[in-house]
Amino acid sequence: MGMLKDEDKKYLTEQFEEKMVDPVPILLFSQKLECEYCQPTEQILTELAELSDKLTLDIRNLQIESADAKEFEIDKVPAIILLRDDKDQGIRFFGIPSGYEFSSLLAAILDVSAGTNDIPDDLRAKIAAIDKPVDIKVFVTPTCPYCPGAVRAAHKIAMLNPDHIRGQMIETTEFPHLANKYAVYGVPKTVINENVQFEGTMPDQAVVEHVLAALSSRD
Amino acid sequence: MDFSFSVSGTPEVDLKDSYDVVIIGAGPAGLTAAIYASRAQLSTLVVNKGVAGGLAASTEWIENYPGFPEGVSGAELGRAMQAQAQRFGAEIFNGEPETLDIASHPKRIKLSGKDITTRAVIIATGTTPKKLNVPGEAELTGRGVSYCATCDGPFFKDKQIVVVGAGSSGVQESIFLAKFAAKITIVEFLPTIQAEKILVERFEKTGKGAFILNHELLGIEGADKVAGVRIRERSSGSERLLSCDGVFLYVGLAPQTAPFADAVGLDKWGYIEVDSSQRTSIEGVWAAGDVTAGATRQIAAAVGAGATAAIEAEHYLSSKS
Ligand SMILES: Cc1cc2nc3c(=O)[nH]c(=O)nc-3n(C[C@H](O)[C@H](O)[C@H](O)COP(=O)(O)OP(=O)(O)OC[C@H]3O[C@@H](n4cnc5c(N)ncnc54)[C@H](O)[C@@H]3O)c2cc1C
Repeated sequence: MGMLKDEDKKYLTEQFEEKMVDPVPILLFSQKLECEYCQPTEQILTELAELSDKLTLDIRNLQIESADAKEFEIDKVPAIILLRDDKDQGIRFFGIPSGYEFSSLLAAILDVSAGTNDIPDDLRAKIAAIDKPVDIKVFVTPTCPYCPGAVRAAHKIAMLNPDHIRGQMIETTEFPHLANKYAVYGVPKTVINENVQFEGTMPDQAVVEHVLAALSSRD
Repeated sequence: MDFSFSVSGTPEVDLKDSYDVVIIGAGPAGLTAAIYASRAQLSTLVVNKGVAGGLAASTEWIENYPGFPEGVSGAELGRAMQAQAQRFGAEIFNGEPETLDIASHPKRIKLSGKDITTRAVIIATGTTPKKLNVPGEAELTGRGVSYCATCDGPFFKDKQIVVVGAGSSGVQESIFLAKFAAKITIVEFLPTIQAEKILVERFEKTGKGAFILNHELLGIEGADKVAGVRIRERSSGSERLLSCDGVFLYVGLAPQTAPFADAVGLDKWGYIEVDSSQRTSIEGVWAAGDVTAGATRQIAAAVGAGATAAIEAEHYLSSKS
């Protein structure tokens, strides 16, 4: 039996038909053993990719294709990357995008397909001017209705400067060692470059300010 | 393993310059208003921060909303309401107004840098969980203090949890937390349990629950994460420390009226005052759902008020055009 309900497939097919502009290749790093969530992630993405000609799914093995994994800075699985014209968009999903996070994935796909997002021009300029690496980790649980807001902000920012910025969704229950390391007991929790962190969702502008603060406090 | 996949993310909308109706908030009240307004062929924009379904979407399982004899998940209900509104053409914008002038004609709203106008506004911004403002609460939020069981419950597998508040929300969420936690102690200020009996029975059936009544929460303790709560028996005044790993607060709700507080009439608790047609003190502005004074804070009631507000707004607009 499929993971996506028929009515949702129908809705998504229409959405993709109406809203997708350019093709979006989805890259999934996975492995067969010792990864509880890899197989279900492969399945849901396979079902999703079937809903539009503009979506393709490329599944790679973390061990076998380790050179690729390294290129995309993938150290844990399942890991999802969205591309545009073969170019990394800075968007990462670590762990299965289930529950509310499925909507984060859908939104990211539409943004990447359009090649843009709704961040206003003044913020765009600030994001584009960043010339040092920024790593935005957003810890979530699939049952958290507020989490996609935080994930979206990180992904939208990364997409506007993918050469320097990474926006990562991290499904906390799948990576308990990271939950421990970053002391996550509540979600969403955002950690920027290891030195700035905040809980909850914030307007895009406030997230950009936190990113800039993370960069200046490191100098 | 059992997965669900929410497709309710709101797609980006190309904002028009003007609308007949702008609804602020996409909880049950706002989405119902959107269904009625868009089905009446008014051009309708819903502005919402957070997920469609509002507070209802963060509730695991809803048993008292009619039409679902087995109950329905809050997430699913929110998704379905959103889909129904979108089916009739309502647009849903993800975000919040940057500026707002609802007293003018037409009314002006700035969204994501763009100015739009509208002839009518329906406020359905609901409530947000109240804080107790006890020592340790703010410092330990996200470090074991939480206001959202569905969000943070999974972090407390086999742990000890204290839930503050024995109202229906507190007990209902405790039943959900019992899926993860080893033990749940509900601390209540009043000497009696306020929650519905059916919920209390179900909570007791989990075998993991206990109530401590007539106790005041004095503070939450812990260095970098929650270690316990300090409580005081209200008649004897005796204090004690209850050790725990997590504290979930369900101590009531506060209305989300900040963007309108200066414009519309509020009651002394800050809820928006409305008449029986959901009209506020400003012409062309209605309010519905939990944000209004005297509301029965339930989904069924919010839905009814949302329908009334939209129908009244439609009458008003057709009388003006
Ligand atoms: C733990 C808990 C359990 C519950 N269980 C039940 C139950 O079993 N059955 C039942 O009937 N009811 C239940 N309720 C009550 C129910 O959730 C509410 O009555 C209902 O959600 C109210 O709907 P609403 O549309 O008025 O507001 P809300 O659901 O609060 O929605 C308001 C929306 O407006 C948005 N918003 C706020 N400010 C702005 C702004 N400035 N700009 C843009 N958007 C904004 C919010 O983000 C939110 O999405 C429960 C409540 C809680 C807390």
